[in-house]
Amino acid sequence: MSHHYIQFSDVHYSYPGGGEVLKGITFRVTHGEKVALLGLNGAGKSTLLLHTNGLLMPTQGEVNVGDVPVIKKTLPLIRQTVGMVFQDSDDQLFMPTVAEDVAFGPMNMRLPKEEVDRRVRVSLAAVGAEELASRSPATLSGGEKKRAAIATVLSMEPSILVMDEPTSGLDATGQRQLVALLKRFTHTCLIATHDLAVATLLCPRSVILKEGRIVWDGRTANLINDLETLRHFGILPIDTEIGCD
Amino acid sequence: MADALLSTPVALAGAGIAATLLGVAGAKIKKNADDINPALMGVMGAFVFAAQMVNFSIPGTGSSGHIVGGILLASVLGPWAAFVTLSSVLIIQCLVFADGGLMALGCNIINMAAMSTLVAYPLVFRPLLRFPAKLWKLMAVSCLASVVGLEAGALCVVAETELSGVTALPTADFAMLMLPIHLAIGLGEGIATGMVLYFVQRTRPALLVREEGRRTAKSIKATVWGFGIAALVIATVIASFASSDPDGLEWSIMNITGSTDLESVGTVAEAARNVQNSTALMPDYDNSLSGIVGAVVVLALLWAFSALITRHRSKKAAAVVSNTDNKK
Amino acid sequence: MADKLEKGINTYSASECQTASRSTAARNPVALLSVTLLYLVTLLSVPLDHLAALLWFGIYPLICSAYLGIPFSRIFVKSMAVIPFIALIGIFNPWFDRAPGIRMGGYELSHGWLTFISITVRGLYALQALLLLTSACGFIGMCRAMRRVHVPAFLTTQLEMVYRYGRLLLEELQQMRRARMARGYGRRSFSVGMWGPMIGQLFIRSIDRAQRVHQAMLCRGFRGTIPDWQQNPYRWSANDTAFTAVWILVFLLLRFLSPQLLFH
Repeated sequence: MSHHYIQFSDVHYSYPGGGEVLKGITFRVTHGEKVALLGLNGAGKSTLLLHTNGLLMPTQGEVNVGDVPVIKKTLPLIRQTVGMVFQDSDDQLFMPTVAEDVAFGPMNMRLPKEEVDRRVRVSLAAVGAEELASRSPATLSGGEKKRAAIATVLSMEPSILVMDEPTSGLDATGQRQLVALLKRFTHTCLIATHDLAVATLLCPRSVILKEGRIVWDGRTANLINDLETLRHFGILPIDTEIGCD
Repeated sequence: MADALLSTPVALAGAGIAATLLGVAGAKIKKNADDINPALMGVMGAFVFAAQMVNFSIPGTGSSGHIVGGILLASVLGPWAAFVTLSSVLIIQCLVFADGGLMALGCNIINMAAMSTLVAYPLVFRPLLRFPAKLWKLMAVSCLASVVGLEAGALCVVAETELSGVTALPTADFAMLMLPIHLAIGLGEGIATGMVLYFVQRTRPALLVREEGRRTAKSIKATVWGFGIAALVIATVIASFASSDPDGLEWSIMNITGSTDLESVGTVAEAARNVQNSTALMPDYDNSLSGIVGAVVVLALLWAFSALITRHRSKKAAAVVSNTDNKK
Repeated sequence: MADKLEKGINTYSASECQTASRSTAARNPVALLSVTLLYLVTLLSVPLDHLAALLWFGIYPLICSAYLGIPFSRIFVKSMAVIPFIALIGIFNPWFDRAPGIRMGGYELSHGWLTFISITVRGLYALQALLLLTSACGFIGMCRAMRRVHVPAFLTTQLEMVYRYGRLLLEELQQMRRARMARGYGRRSFSVGMWGPMIGQLFIRSIDRAQRVHQAMLCRGFRGTIPDWQQNPYRWSANDTAFTAVWILVFLLLRFLSPQLLFH
């Protein structure tokens, strides 16, 4: 599998008994690309992300990860390929210790014990959280929680990372550390955020979602100075610098 | 229920019954794995745990109470998953908050979890209520089910205590003491449960209908069974109150002064007593003053000794910590 | 003035600290759990009118607290919490049971008072033993011990999950309550009319959280059972065997051959 891309083709989605949230989404995140998904709360960002993991299935249209369509039968494969980081780390850290959380995915893949142990070590090292291994998630700070949550996904060795508001709830230091960490990753990334600064630092390309439709798609560098477009879609321009490198 | 009020045989029997029920529940949950998942049960348990920490005032009584949550859990998770969830809350309260006791855990699971989720919910609540329901009906059925659950639990407490032989209080008097208290608590619980269910029904009706969907034609049969058993229990209780000489109830096993008639009846109490007696291979001591004083003196010395040791150790630990700090 | 909710959060923090600081506990939780259970079984089987024999069981909490390095005074003070509940039921004994009990000096103590004192004493002892267990192992340690002795995984997982999210929901509830109290509603306790919607709100938030947690599990290949991967820091050592064996011996001696004989 060398084609680590996500392709959305005319994806529609309505919640049972509710209105249509996604109204025909078509775009592709190509191999190695990092894309920011911008938009206001309720624009459908989170709903769209849930489709990359088959947690929601489109009511119309389809999603492909590489050559594999996201359908019930392919879910185990899809979920190993696409790692999803939730907005609230507390949702993702449900085991008594961080190490057990990190081991959760590999254990479900029925890997041998030595391989699981190796992955736990490597993933925790990748986010600089080795010393958190035996801590209880409840006792971690926001930034530590986020790093631990990312480690739980990395241990599945995914080639694509999907993140929902990774910097929300973090203080300035936490945000800076997280951005520095994510910059080092070579994975294909799709990052939902409402923070333009994060998009600028991490993603060369941005996609703006509004009321379930893609309304803008292009280079982030072009977007940050285009105050007209930003105002039009209700996205706050960068006013505070997150100093990074 | 506390450890001190139980004898070993009763505590072990309670633990056995509770463990069996939990085992059955585990098997039932496995079968229903599609709609009941560990995350739902875990977070719902945490919810009940948290909700129990906020008291509400019971109208008209000036006192306040907290919810136990059996009926509420069962309306979302179904009786068996609710039973496991509520049991887990009781276990945590015992092991983290030292509420109840380790030996009493089995009995507490029976009294508080099983009676509401496995008795009151399937036999009273579910047969009588169909979501969505009007507020008054929701309230009425919640109250009825909660009262049934709590009174059943109170009767269990009475039975366990009397079987353990720790109280000299005659069974009938004990029941007369417990039942009215739990009627009030049950009404409080019922109103609170009804309020929450009404709120959920208004904002997220789908949550309640899900459990509804599992209802089968068996419900009528359940109702009949429910009322049959309830009638039986009520009849027994009334009969025991109505008996001209309630103290003569062979159950009042701790009427030690006149314990002569105990041998003549083959009650459960007697059986329990026999087990207790056969395990009570106690040398024939008297409780002489010297014996008690001796024990107390030795304990006091031990306490002083223990305090010395702990203080010594914590000093040593502090020294180690400051040493490592210095090194840094 | 700490109320129930705040007390709950504090106890929780303390318990989490225990779990953190004692991740490599001095004593194997399985050993301590079995010794505690054996203690309770022998303690509760002592007939109530053998007060002197019962008192001797106090040596276990005393010696064990010194052994585990936990101040006994703290355990003792906490164990007093059990008295009101026991007294509520035990107080009827002196009333109903006026048979002669023991003679202390020139004073006659009735059988009812004797059993009442016995109930209180064993209530204190039982709670002290439980407190020692919980403060020495921490909750997660005990869950591991349970798993070790083959308590089914569905139950231990459930306990761990409730423990994990209990704290979180307590804090959510604290925030909600603060918001409501700031708006001038009542004091510490709520009328049912206000309590209902607040708890209903918490209920719905909890359901939503449960769904997200479940999704997070699915994303990482969850197939219905939570796998058991532990670095298990607890190994059964010769030390544990000795610890358990010595105490079993002591309990049997206390139960069947009370040291009270020495004072005859």
